Amino acid sequence: MRAALTIAAKDLRQRVRDRSAFVVAFLLPLGLAGIFSLTLANVSGESKFTATYAVVDLDHGQVAQAFTDILSKLDFAKLKHVSTTAQASDLAKDGKVDAAFVIPAGFSATAAAGQGGELQVITNPNSAIGGLVARSIEQSFASDIDAIQVSVATVLGEHGSPPDPALTSQLVMRARETPPSAVLNPNNAESRLFSSTTFYAVGMAVFFVFFTVEFGVRSLLIERESATLARLLVAPIRPAWIIGGKSLASLVVGLVSMTALVLASTWLLGAEWGNPLGVGLLVAAGVLAAMGLTALVSSVAKTPAQAGSYASVAAVVGGLLGGTFFPVSQGPSLLANLSLVTPQAWMMRGFQGLAGGGDLGQVLPSVAACLVFAIVLGGITVARADRLVAR
Amino acid sequence: MRKALSIAAVNLRRVLRDRISLFFMVVFPFAIILTIGAVFGASFTPVVGVVSEGSGPLGADLLSRLGHADGIRVRTFDDRDGLTTAVERGQVEAGLVIPPGYDRQIRAGDTVQLPYIQRPAGAGQGGQLVVTAVVDRQAIVLRAARVAPSEGVGTFDQALAQAEAIAPLVPKVTVRTSIAGGSTASQFDYGAAQELLLFVFLTSLTASSMLIESRRIGVSRRMLASPTSARTVIVGEALGRFGIALFQGFLILVVTLALFRVDWGDPAAAGAIIVLFALVGTGAAMLMGSVLENAQQAGSLGVFVGLVFAALGGCMVPLEVFPPVMVKVAHLTPQAWGLDAFGKVLGKAAGVGQILPELGVLTLYAAVLLGLATILFRRKLTA
Amino acid sequence: MRGDGPVLECRGLCKAFGERVAVDGVGFTIAEGETYGLLGPNGAGKTTTISMVCGLLKRDAGEVLVAGRPVDTGTVDARSAIGYVPQEIAIYPDLTARENALFFGRLYGLAAKDLEARVDEILGIVDLGDRADEKTDRYSGGMKRRLNIGLGLLNRPKLLVLDEPTVGVDPQSRNAILESVEGFRRQGMAVLYTTHYMEEAERLCDRVGILDEGKVLAEGTRRELVSMVGERDRVHLAATGDLESAARVVGTLDAVEQATRSQDGLDLVVGDARKHLPAILTYVGEHTHVTTVEVTEPNLEAVFLHLTGKTLRD
Repeated sequence: MRAALTIAAKDLRQRVRDRSAFVVAFLLPLGLAGIFSLTLANVSGESKFTATYAVVDLDHGQVAQAFTDILSKLDFAKLKHVSTTAQASDLAKDGKVDAAFVIPAGFSATAAAGQGGELQVITNPNSAIGGLVARSIEQSFASDIDAIQVSVATVLGEHGSPPDPALTSQLVMRARETPPSAVLNPNNAESRLFSSTTFYAVGMAVFFVFFTVEFGVRSLLIERESATLARLLVAPIRPAWIIGGKSLASLVVGLVSMTALVLASTWLLGAEWGNPLGVGLLVAAGVLAAMGLTALVSSVAKTPAQAGSYASVAAVVGGLLGGTFFPVSQGPSLLANLSLVTPQAWMMRGFQGLAGGGDLGQVLPSVAACLVFAIVLGGITVARADRLVAR
Repeated sequence: MRKALSIAAVNLRRVLRDRISLFFMVVFPFAIILTIGAVFGASFTPVVGVVSEGSGPLGADLLSRLGHADGIRVRTFDDRDGLTTAVERGQVEAGLVIPPGYDRQIRAGDTVQLPYIQRPAGAGQGGQLVVTAVVDRQAIVLRAARVAPSEGVGTFDQALAQAEAIAPLVPKVTVRTSIAGGSTASQFDYGAAQELLLFVFLTSLTASSMLIESRRIGVSRRMLASPTSARTVIVGEALGRFGIALFQGFLILVVTLALFRVDWGDPAAAGAIIVLFALVGTGAAMLMGSVLENAQQAGSLGVFVGLVFAALGGCMVPLEVFPPVMVKVAHLTPQAWGLDAFGKVLGKAAGVGQILPELGVLTLYAAVLLGLATILFRRKLTA
Repeated sequence: MRGDGPVLECRGLCKAFGERVAVDGVGFTIAEGETYGLLGPNGAGKTTTISMVCGLLKRDAGEVLVAGRPVDTGTVDARSAIGYVPQEIAIYPDLTARENALFFGRLYGLAAKDLEARVDEILGIVDLGDRADEKTDRYSGGMKRRLNIGLGLLNRPKLLVLDEPTVGVDPQSRNAILESVEGFRRQGMAVLYTTHYMEEAERLCDRVGILDEGKVLAEGTRRELVSMVGERDRVHLAATGDLESAARVVGTLDAVEQATRSQDGLDLVVGDARKHLPAILTYVGEHTHVTTVEVTEPNLEAVFLHLTGKTLRD
């Protein structure tokens, strides 16, 4: 038993001396999460959305003016006024604006007379969000006009007499002043699950832990190559303690680095991981799962360099499938649940639940799943490693 | 040139003979294909979750309207926690909460806030537009129902019934949307382009460790000892890598098109982007391979560099969200140019002719990287 | 104080790798204080035998007892009596010599204070004291080899096993290594030494086992082995003239067992060259003109040749 601790201590000392280990285990993930923060453009983790829109007013009427007023009051949008539809379309095509609003001639007249009308939006193909927002704005404006018209029509319908212009305009004003009954609110604090910064911090930590712990089996292969393994095997210790010691070293490195990442991303980037006990449990279970996966993959290799590449591939594939870069869907169909084959997906699921304010109970299934991965994958590896170690 | 080809052939044979490498070489693109499919495939018709417990008859009416709307499918939930979890897990694209008291508040003349829960860093917001439209349409008749009583014309419910009868007869203001350049792409296709470029670059870089291995094993040196110039060796090494990157890129292109109907646009244009991007990736890989000593370092550094460039270049958080300064920074990366090109090309909006500037920049990147790699590799080999 | 029983006993060791039989029924004993050499060409099965003796390799058959206790891949007990010096340099390049020694010392169960003192002692013995706290990847090849040997001594082994320690080593370091091994002999350690260099076996070993193709062909002291080929010297005469007749004539001498013509003279196998050389030269001189006389006394190379028909360096 002491032999395992001695070997673990030696491995840790070697690991600490290896500067690239520090880089991979800590600097890289933190750096990447930081870069994501930069691209998301601010400290609190909410992306501050800005857009540039072109406006073509071919009508110049009152209703058109009302619309352009609304547009100019949008605090997130910059406006470019152009005179023709073709100009606006070109701006959108060349990516100079996120979308273009076109108010055709005669719009104000038909709208005010309750005859409806058509507004146009031309979107920039690269600005998915900007385009959606623009359509949404125009749609709301159109609905507003419709609401006024229907209100007026409803009241006048009751009267049953031909419309009196004065009454009509009074009704229009009344209807306009009546606030909308309901408004969609996607951006308030209540609607947020957790910030994008948190998502990326979690994603990077989960992704990189697989690189951090993979050196366990690889170090065994290195020792075999450099004949120090023979020395270990001749010494009066059980081969099992060799595997045990190396696993212990991996575990320590994984726990320390992941914990450091959680803390650093919280303090430096403003990520919010959630319930500390839950996070701690999942970190531990996740590190074990990562050890199991990388160990099994590495044990198939014949040389240390091969082991390193195989483990890298497993880490990248698992990270992609498991949703560390893009959120993946889980659901009724088989394809949607494919990601659950990876321990990364379970870790992301658990951490996202915690970040969204979930309690300890919510994270237990993920912890359990990770432990299952650890036991099954690790168990298979140990059985194979026995072959490696005692010829 | 023939020698270069035989070097490439040897490298490829080494990879192909190693069954495990082969497995990873194929499994890799398929993982990407599946992530693209899983993310984008399931949301062709976005599913929106709705909670409307205790929201009263008006809330139930809104729920019913949502259920009948084109463009989304609705799934009801009993409580907000269940809905939130479902959104977190991607089981629904987003969640709408119709709060208890919806009915009451509207009758009282308030404006109700409807929380709309979305995923961060999420793909796809198509559902929001449809949901907003449905809410707005209900709001039309609700406005009438609120105005009429204040004009002394009937009660809220009477006015509501009247408004519902009249509304279909009132001419509406409609919104016509078009995408500049005539593209027919869905916004999801852009996400697929992001993942593709991320992947091709990443795998090229992680493959650079093999080059270092061959230098260490002394194979490259032995090749040089034969009457072969350093340049030929490098071209040979590069060709092998390029071939693999290209194969994987096209595999993704074709399979996502066939399985998930991702519309990559004009084949020549999409193909040109892939070819050049694979070349850029190869150049970066060769450069890394010629600079670094340690195959292990190359593996992890490759992943890091690949991810940094992908993040900076807009492959993860889309470029349109970047603050203006970062957009300029992004265009220091080849990824941003590749995405710009795809943006024009997706949905058959443009052909090769329209993306010549972007292709030109990518070619420049490739030339610079390969050139640098050649110089450094030669120096390393003949040192 | 002499213990009872041999330090190493192995019998009937067999090991096959698939079709190829590497070791076939090898057995020998090493007494306390004895240096036993396993001499054989590359591929004879030396390293395989050593691996089985040290418990690194699972035996197909046979048994190994070190200081009376059995050695196997599964057992731990007997190994504390073995000191191991592998052919490759088995040290950690990213640790210092001291750290290497402390680590392996701990694995052998050396307790803290004793460990530190012992490590200092060993570092002194292998003359690495002043650079003990530098990482070993900075060491020269010779220094690494010395550390390699030193690590095998840490646990005060009853049996020191050295596997071809001088392969690829420059002559100076080689000599140093051989002197160290002679030193171990003087200290009374039992040593198992494998090599394909005859000179080393002759210089260092009390007894030698000749190994070829997995079998011990003969075993004994140098004298005993040499006597297997008889007390025969080889004489080579470089000469010109009527070599045929000279060979015939000199072959008639009782002492001359064999006389053959060679490219540049005559090759003779003679009973006792010192005694009979004058007579030989007289006989040969009648038919030829002798320019050089070379007498080679029998050695292990000759024994090996006799036993196998091959040279050690084939």
